[in-house]
Amino acid sequence: MAKRSLTGEPPHGPLHAILIVMTLYTIYPILWVICIALSGRQNLAIAELPPDPGVLDRLRAVMPWPQHFSAANFASVLRDQPFARWMLNSAIVSAATTLLGVSLACSAAYAFSRFKFPGRQPGMLLLLVSQMFPGTLTLIPLYIIIVQWLGLGSSMFGLVLVYGTTSIPFSVWMLKGYFDTIPKELEEAAMMEGASAGKIFWRIVMPLATPAIAITALFSFMTAWNEFIIAATLMDKEFKYTAPVGLRFFVGGFQQQWGYFAAGSILVSVPVVLLFLYLQKYLVSGLTAGGVKG
Amino acid sequence: MKAASHRIRFLAGVVLGTAVGLSLSWALLRATRRDLVSERKRREAIISVQALADLVQRVGFPSTRVGQVVPAWQAQKPPGTFARIVAFAGAQLVASTDPADRGARETPRRLSREEKPLYDQGQRIRAAVETNREEASARKPEIEIDGLAAGALALAAPLQSGGAVSGLVAAQFPGTGHAHGGNAGLAALLLAGAIAVFAVFAWAAGERRLLLAAGATVCLAGALLIHANAAVRTVREELRAADEAVAAYATAQGGQAGEVLASLQVPVDPPLAPASWDTDEFRRPRRLIGEDGHPDEVGLAGRVARASFEATRALFGVAAVSLLLLLVAGFGGFSRAGRELVEHRQAYLYITPAMIGLLVLVFFPFFYGITLSFTDSNLYNTNRSIGETWIGLRNYGDVLGDFGFIQRAQGGGFVINYLNFYWTLLFTILWTVSNVSFGVVVGLALALILNTRDLALRPVYRVLLILPWAVPNYITSLIWKGMFHQQFGVVNQFLGIFGISPIAWFGKVGTSFFTAFATNGWLSFPFMMVVSLGALQSIPAELYEAARVDGATRWQQFKAITLPSLRPALVPAIIISVVWTFNMFNVVYLVTAGEPGGSTEILITQAYKFAFERYRYGYAAAYSTVIFLILLVYGVFQNRVSKATEAA
Repeated sequence: MAKRSLTGEPPHGPLHAILIVMTLYTIYPILWVICIALSGRQNLAIAELPPDPGVLDRLRAVMPWPQHFSAANFASVLRDQPFARWMLNSAIVSAATTLLGVSLACSAAYAFSRFKFPGRQPGMLLLLVSQMFPGTLTLIPLYIIIVQWLGLGSSMFGLVLVYGTTSIPFSVWMLKGYFDTIPKELEEAAMMEGASAGKIFWRIVMPLATPAIAITALFSFMTAWNEFIIAATLMDKEFKYTAPVGLRFFVGGFQQQWGYFAAGSILVSVPVVLLFLYLQKYLVSGLTAGGVKG
Repeated sequence: MKAASHRIRFLAGVVLGTAVGLSLSWALLRATRRDLVSERKRREAIISVQALADLVQRVGFPSTRVGQVVPAWQAQKPPGTFARIVAFAGAQLVASTDPADRGARETPRRLSREEKPLYDQGQRIRAAVETNREEASARKPEIEIDGLAAGALALAAPLQSGGAVSGLVAAQFPGTGHAHGGNAGLAALLLAGAIAVFAVFAWAAGERRLLLAAGATVCLAGALLIHANAAVRTVREELRAADEAVAAYATAQGGQAGEVLASLQVPVDPPLAPASWDTDEFRRPRRLIGEDGHPDEVGLAGRVARASFEATRALFGVAAVSLLLLLVAGFGGFSRAGRELVEHRQAYLYITPAMIGLLVLVFFPFFYGITLSFTDSNLYNTNRSIGETWIGLRNYGDVLGDFGFIQRAQGGGFVINYLNFYWTLLFTILWTVSNVSFGVVVGLALALILNTRDLALRPVYRVLLILPWAVPNYITSLIWKGMFHQQFGVVNQFLGIFGISPIAWFGKVGTSFFTAFATNGWLSFPFMMVVSLGALQSIPAELYEAARVDGATRWQQFKAITLPSLRPALVPAIIISVVWTFNMFNVVYLVTAGEPGGSTEILITQAYKFAFERYRYGYAAAYSTVIFLILLVYGVFQNRVSKATEAA
């Protein structure tokens, strides 16, 4: 006690109390969805209330602990519902988006970072402004271009084109920030050795930028994995849904299949949550670095 | 490298500008004349089909005499013309002059299986006629026209008996083959003339840039004006000629129909009205043929005026483009741009793939959307061109000029019009400010707590508190939507423990706002927490120790050390999160869905609903453009502010 007051540290008890309250707030919804998923039913409620419920019955109904454990929701969402197919669609679209978006962004970001050319400043500014375009303004034209002109409605390729290009501005800003920190001397030395521009890019710059590229790729992947409005607009065949559109399908409109939704949510979230927790340290530095420069 | 002389550059500019301008004008003229020819053909085809439909209806449909009418109708038409009459009752092909319908396929007979498209077309037209009648509108075409190979046309029109559509006339007309070109000779002559005149002028004027520019502009404008003048005259003459030809055609059709009816001894009552056969595809009369069988002068004058207006508008566009080319070339823009392109070719090579993608799928849709915002585009006119639905700034006037968001109710109280832009704007600002404040306060507080040294279980708390950020936000939204369910939602069950009866969360503005607020608060504070925590950990401990030695209180330490060190990280994070929250589509769309009555929409979800639930595309585009402008102003403003804070 004496040591604490000496260093000006507050007592730990109240701090723990605040942290526990906030932790409950954050994990309760997650426990709730796990509980619904494992209940084996399609019900929204954790427990059925008796006609004249007492306090204990009511307490039971808010405890995130299912009445019966059952993996039936997971089994039937994968077997009876086309959810496995939707997950596969999402995986393909997200992987292809990442590949397309990051490769285009890498070369553009390298040019913006290394070369001085007319149109460089306006170009970067334009990329920044494009982040402010409201999705509702571009959605109808995108539909016209992709579905009516290119004939790519309900096609994963069309979705990849849209996601890949819309992810470019953000990726370019992130990557350019990182390329700027790579010392130019390395490239100049390689140039003295007679390496070609392409070789310098592939052999020196790209390996050095691997951490930044990994983060940018994660961002592209997560954006595509979680996007739902554009996919819902372009994909009108149930077979071609992505996972987000499919999940909404379970509980949107007149459907109330909360058990399927909960099981599906967990299947969709677990990979991104793990990836996120693994890489979150870099996410923050990337975001704020871009922000400070912007 | 020695710069080329001004005279040479402007001569090149005149050549380029005039050539481009004249080719564009020539192409436009050619397209207009083509349109005229094809319009005339379509009008004649429609008159012809309507005449046949009229005949068939007069002789009685379906009756055996229909079989005599069709060959008689076809008698004076060019070879390649034929028609088929379908009765829906029994799916009968009543009559046909199609060469394929001979021998075993002689009419009348049942439609065969492979002729189902013909039957379907009839049903489609019947549905179209009924829809248009119910809506008292002209939305679905009642006469279907398809272009076939070699300029041939296939038409299908409804047959009516007693008001109901009971059959179909399907006819084919051969292509006439030749289409007019533009006046290429005149254009070439004008180009040569402009170049020659400018060459002489440049020789006299010497190396004076402004004088050369003025002379070049005059030469260009002269050539374009002469060409445009000739073009307008041509179009006017051809319009008149086309109208006269169509009127004559209608009269001839009327005469022929009269003969057919006379030969079949069918009384002509009411009298035949050939002018009424000249309709558009919604069977609305065009009123371009007078009672006397000659073009209606008022209608023709209107068409001529419209054509002249369009020609003038096109001329301005063409002139602007070519003048721009001329001046850019004349002042050396192209040679500079070319030099730079070559010099920096490597950089441009690297950015080109990304830029092409961005142009096609980001910037083009953006400008297309802005263009849409000046039109009256909606679900019912998507097939019209932008020029036809152009309404200028009216959408913006409707969005921004409507201040009546509080209206007096009939009972005397006040009601708020939740669809009004300013209500939604107010709500969005309230939403953004409250959410960002919550995120900053809670995130910062938690970061300060987690930054306490020797606190037990720190990493565990940290990971658990960060979880909401990792969960996809559409899933978060749907989870909270379920938890706020009135009957089964866990929130109401929790309140039940304290004896509070279930609340209809989405029934009132305040509680509905709270649901979205709780959801967004849940998913947004971890970001602020992590950002603050990162910044806090980078503050050297010696600073605090030095402050303590000087006897500073905790509050003084916080104000003098902690806050200033947090600012570089927190300011950009707040800027970003304002934009995110302002456009937090998923939470509002999925949690409150605007309930009750659109009161809890934010701007972006409201724009979405105008586009995809009320199908007012133009209005929604204007709405979205306003959102973009708000964000742009915010961005510029923030940029100033953050630069100022960095400098301070």
